Parts: sequence; structure tokens; C-alpha cells
Amino acid sequence: MYQLTSVAKLYHKGRRTVPAVQDLTLTISDGQWLAVQGRTGHGKSTLLNLLGGLDRPTSGTIELDGTSLGALPETRLTRVRAEKIGFIFQTFNLIPTLSAAENVEAALIPLGVGHADRAARVAAALDSVGLADRAGHLPTEMSGGQQQRTAIARALVKEPTVLLADEPTGNLDEDTRDEIIALLEKLWRERGLTLVLVTHDSSLARQAQRVGVMGNGRLTIRQDTRPAPGPGSSHVPPAPVHDPPA
Amino acid sequence: MFFVTYLRRELRRRMRQAIFVALGLALGVGLVVTVAAASAGVARAQSRVLSTLYGEATTVTVTGGRWQEPSTLPKGTDTIAPGPGGEICSAPGGTCVSGDGKTLTMIDIMNEGISVAKVAAAARLPGVAAAAGGIFLNESTISWPKKGASTARGSGPGGGRPGGYPMEGVDTSHPTLGPLGGATLISGRLFTAADADAHVAVVDSGYAASHGLRIGSHLTLGLTTWPDLSIIKGIRFTVIGIVGQAAGSNPPSVYVPLKAAQELPWLKTGPSSVQGRVTNIYLAAASAADVPAVTREVARLLPGTKVTSASDLASEVAGSVTSFAKLANDLGRWLAVLVLIAAFAVASLLTMAAVSRRAAEFGTLKALGWRTRRIIAQVLGESLATGIAGAAAGVALGCTGAAIAAAVTPSVSATVGSNGGGNGTLIGGSPVQTVAVPLHLSVSAGLIVLAVLLAVAGAVLAGAFGSWRIARLRPADALSRVA
Repeated sequence: MYQLTSVAKLYHKGRRTVPAVQDLTLTISDGQWLAVQGRTGHGKSTLLNLLGGLDRPTSGTIELDGTSLGALPETRLTRVRAEKIGFIFQTFNLIPTLSAAENVEAALIPLGVGHADRAARVAAALDSVGLADRAGHLPTEMSGGQQQRTAIARALVKEPTVLLADEPTGNLDEDTRDEIIALLEKLWRERGLTLVLVTHDSSLARQAQRVGVMGNGRLTIRQDTRPAPGPGSSHVPPAPVHDPPA
Repeated sequence: MFFVTYLRRELRRRMRQAIFVALGLALGVGLVVTVAAASAGVARAQSRVLSTLYGEATTVTVTGGRWQEPSTLPKGTDTIAPGPGGEICSAPGGTCVSGDGKTLTMIDIMNEGISVAKVAAAARLPGVAAAAGGIFLNESTISWPKKGASTARGSGPGGGRPGGYPMEGVDTSHPTLGPLGGATLISGRLFTAADADAHVAVVDSGYAASHGLRIGSHLTLGLTTWPDLSIIKGIRFTVIGIVGQAAGSNPPSVYVPLKAAQELPWLKTGPSSVQGRVTNIYLAAASAADVPAVTREVARLLPGTKVTSASDLASEVAGSVTSFAKLANDLGRWLAVLVLIAAFAVASLLTMAAVSRRAAEFGTLKALGWRTRRIIAQVLGESLATGIAGAAAGVALGCTGAAIAAAVTPSVSATVGSNGGGNGTLIGGSPVQTVAVPLHLSVSAGLIVLAVLLAVAGAVLAGAFGSWRIARLRPADALSRVA
């Protein structure tokens, strides 16, 4: 579970101070799906970086399962990312010189998993995203959708408790976007992940349980749209969500 | 292994850049190897010349002052000289006979004699391990053919054929102190203490070949015909050993025991007599560190003599060997250093640029939970692989450069001071000797190790700069660089 208390992140550009996140207090329960919408430059990606320990807050605290991420030394923070947090990026961020299997395997290297065990887990992860037959392909030999599936497999191969996705469908066409959305929802449901997803896409945001809107560094939570799914629960149709103010 | 796979793929992706960096390192390292091989080759050449003439690095040589013929010879002193028409004359203006079919021999000492008692005194100096006396001689001859003989005329007076060679009288109780110490025994044996009174000789292999000598052969030294047609029979020696000596070093051709040398015609009596005297003292210092002190003490013991060590004479060596040494040590060394620095700088800049381009990749790895030092190890591994390739190419380039340098400059000349001038009466030695010194440029195992270390150090240095950038990279900033 995430507990954010009065979190702020300020960037200093010369004499100017830019507040990317301001006075944010938020609780994200285990297994919850939170979608964050908002216009460009209003702090969505910054919030995701703070939740993932990729950046430290200027003030306030961010606790993950009772551990304050901001207070951890870098080595321990890196360990938390290795074990508990999976990332999915808009531009996939695959290592261009490694195959799909090797990209997925890269997520297991910090955990010290043995070679045989790594191979088995990589194969299972690729199979779960429908890419078992693309294991040996380089990113340049795959479509955008296949690359994003590989990135999802990489994020999930270490069985994290949290999945952070930054515009996962931003670079995909409509059909592929739907495939990825369906895949994410399936995996979220099956694994009980805590999923925080940043998106411009309202139709994607509607799939989530909760929707928040970032505006000028402040998060406004919409009314919760649907309850958390139990194990084996069927799909709950999303409730309508108002688009964020212009 | 994931590490090796990632490394290999990344180097393949930026193959051109990796080759460029490796070649730069190879060029710098190759220059270092070539210059070092040239410097070592020149130093060896100088050392061979000096050790042949003057002994090993711990040898100190004492040489008597230049021998000067007295202005007035003692009454009854026999003199002999060639006449302009090929005669043998008892003195300028004295009785002459035809030289046809005869040989005129002169044995000269080059330096003033030093009492043998001084040899013993020098041996007792602190820091001296051993001392031996020697007599450096020059036998000069002119031979005239018999009248009517078809032998071609020579370049000596009256068409005589000049000849001669340097000789050395050796203390048989210390045979390897002195020029004989630099020789290599080819057949037979060297002198022992038991040969002190014997008429035995050790000859140079070239001299043996030109005179048809082998072990057991005989040669006569000092044979000459006087104007009254009496013959100085000289002394007959038996060859007991044949030695090889450094090519072009112009060492003595014949070595005889010291006592026998003192009994040779011309040296037993008269102004050139060396009875109870030697012309050189060879001292072996206990260690190289003792050489300066020994040099000072013996100079104090023997004023008026010339005291030299191998390091003193090294500065006197002139000729193209010195020019070559200067070229290798000064210009060559600085050029190699500059090229190496440039190679290191280029490698560092390219590595840092590559790290910048891969910022998003490294940010992603950090997001996946890779520790900074693991990422640094990956970058250093890539640099190391490039450095090893550069080292291999550099060693190959250096060996090729050394071979080309040796082929282009097969030998250089070395000019060194001799043991002194002749007595001016006949065919004496020149004040200096110019010898051809073969130049052997070889790349030693130590040099190869140095080359590898230099290339690897350069590559690691380049990787270190890149690593420094990685360490400072914040994941969020790195990820924001995704296009």
C-alpha cells in the first residue's frame, strides 16, 4: 500500500522554482488500479517517478508498505525497485541490442536468480503476454505492440506488487492500444497488482477503479468508479468519468 | 553469460567507434613499443662495444698516459724504420738493406707503463673485488715480396704490404678481467694460472680464419729482419683457444700471457720496455654501487693515469649510434607520449559521448533495479574489451615498427676513444676507433606486458570518465531523455 503525505516536488531552474507536485496526500490500497490524467506538464510523470523511487520528494513522505522511500539510501531504494516495482514506459525502453528474452531477463539480473531459473521465468513471462514465439527477436524486429508486450513481460517477470505505467499506449495505434489495455487489465486482475497508470486516454482511464486528475501539480481524485476485483472476479463495466477541465 | 552477451552486442552496435578507439590506442602503444625497442637496442649496442673494449659495467680501467718516444734515446738503443724505396734502415740516415722478401715488424705499446706493484695496491682498495694488469700492444708489419715475384705491390713504403693487429698481454690468474672478458670461447680453452710462464695464445676467430690457425697451430710474434740481415726470431706461441668477439668492436686479435708479452722483441729492453710494468689495470668493483668510489680512490693512488668506467665511456661514444639513441630517446619518446595522451583523450571523449547517448538505457536499467556499480561494470567491461583489442594491435604494430626500423638501419657506427695513440714511428693506431655496431631491435616479454598494461590503462581511464557520468545520472533525468 502506498501512503503519500503532503508530498511536494520542486525543480529549480536558475532563479525560478517550478512546483511539479504540490501538497499531495494520497492512499493507494493494495491491488487498486489508479489512473492519473492531466495535461502535459502538470506533474503526472513526476508523480509516477516519485512512486517508483526514481526521484525523491522535496518535502513530505512516500511510504510503500510502511517503508519511507525518501529516507532510504540509494542502494536500498534500488533493491525495492528490483523486487517490488515494475515499470512500463510510453516508448517501451527496451535495450536495443538485446532480444525480447534477454530484455525480460535483464529484470531478473539484480535479483541474483540462477541461470536455469531465469530461463524458465523468462519463458513463462513471454508466454503470458503471447510472445513465446518472439523470444529471440530484437526490438527492431518487432512491432510497437509486441515491443510493449515485451516491456510488460519484463515488468512482471519479477512478480512485483506494484506496476507503474507511464502512457503505455501513447505510441500505439488504436487496435494495438485495445490489445494492450486488455492485457493490462487481465494481468492486474490475475495477479492482484497495485497498478498506477498515467494516461491522456480517457477510454483507458475509464477502465480503472479510481481516476485522479493532475492539475498544476495537484491531484484531484474522482469518485471511485468500481470496487477492487476479488480473485477470479469477472469484468465490471467502467462507470463514466468526466474529462479533466481544459 | 548475460554480462558477456550484453557487452558483445553493444560493441557490435558501435563497431566503428570501438575500432577507432582501439586503433588510436594501438597507435600510441605501438609507438611506445617501437621506441622502447629502439632505445633498448641502442643501449645494447653501446654496451656491447664498451664491454668488449673495456669490460663489464663493474669494471674500472686504468690506462697509463699516452706513450711518448723520448727525445733522446739511450746510447746503444736499436732503432729501425722503413726507407722510402722499400728498404729497412737502422735509423733515419743509417744503414739500409733491401726489404725484398723480408718482413719489418714493430711492436708498440700505446701507453706509459704502470708498475705491477701498483696493481697489487689497487687490488687492496676498498670496494675492489679483483685487479689485474694488462699490456695493450700493437704489432705493425710491412712485408715486401721477393724481387721478381708476381705479388701485387702493397700500400706501404716501397710497395710493401702493411699489416698488423692489436694484441693484449693478459694476467692469466684473472683472464676475464679486461677485453678477453667480453669474448666467447669457440674452441679450446682460455688461460689458466698455470699458463703464466707458457708461450700459449688465444686468438680471435677472424684472425684465426685469415691466418689459417686452429687449436695447436703455431704463430710467431715479433719476427723481423734487421738491417744487418740478422733476424729477430720473435717468440713462437701455440694456439690453445679461439674466441669470438663482438662484430665490429675491434678487440685484440691475439692474447698472450703477460710475462710472454713483456719478453717480446722491442718490449724487453729499450724505451718501450714493459719489464715489471703494465699499460692497463683492470679492476672489478664489488658492485655497480662501488664503482664511483673505486674510481676516485684509484685516481688518487695513480695520478697521471686515465681512470674510466663503462658509464664514463658511455658518454664518449659518438657516431650514428648516438644520433640514433637521441632520436629514439628524445623525439621518439615524446612523440609516443603525445600520441598516447591523444589516444587516451579521444577514447575518454568517445566513451563519455556514448554514455550520454545511452542515458535512457541506463535510466531504464536503474528503474529495473540495476545498481550503479553493475552498470559501471558493464561500461568498464566494454572499455576493457576495446583496450585489449588495442593492446593486441599495438603489440603487432610495435613489433612491425621495430622490424622495419632494424631493416632500414641494420647497423650504426660507434666512435670511442682507444687506449692511447701510437708512438708515432710506424703504423700506429688512430687516436679513436670507429666501429660498425649491428643494431638488433627486439621486443621483450616485459615490453609486451608494458604495452598491454598501457592500452588497458587507457581504456579503463576512458571507461572511468564514462562511469563517473553514470554515477551522477539520476534515473528520472535519464528517463526524461527518451526521444
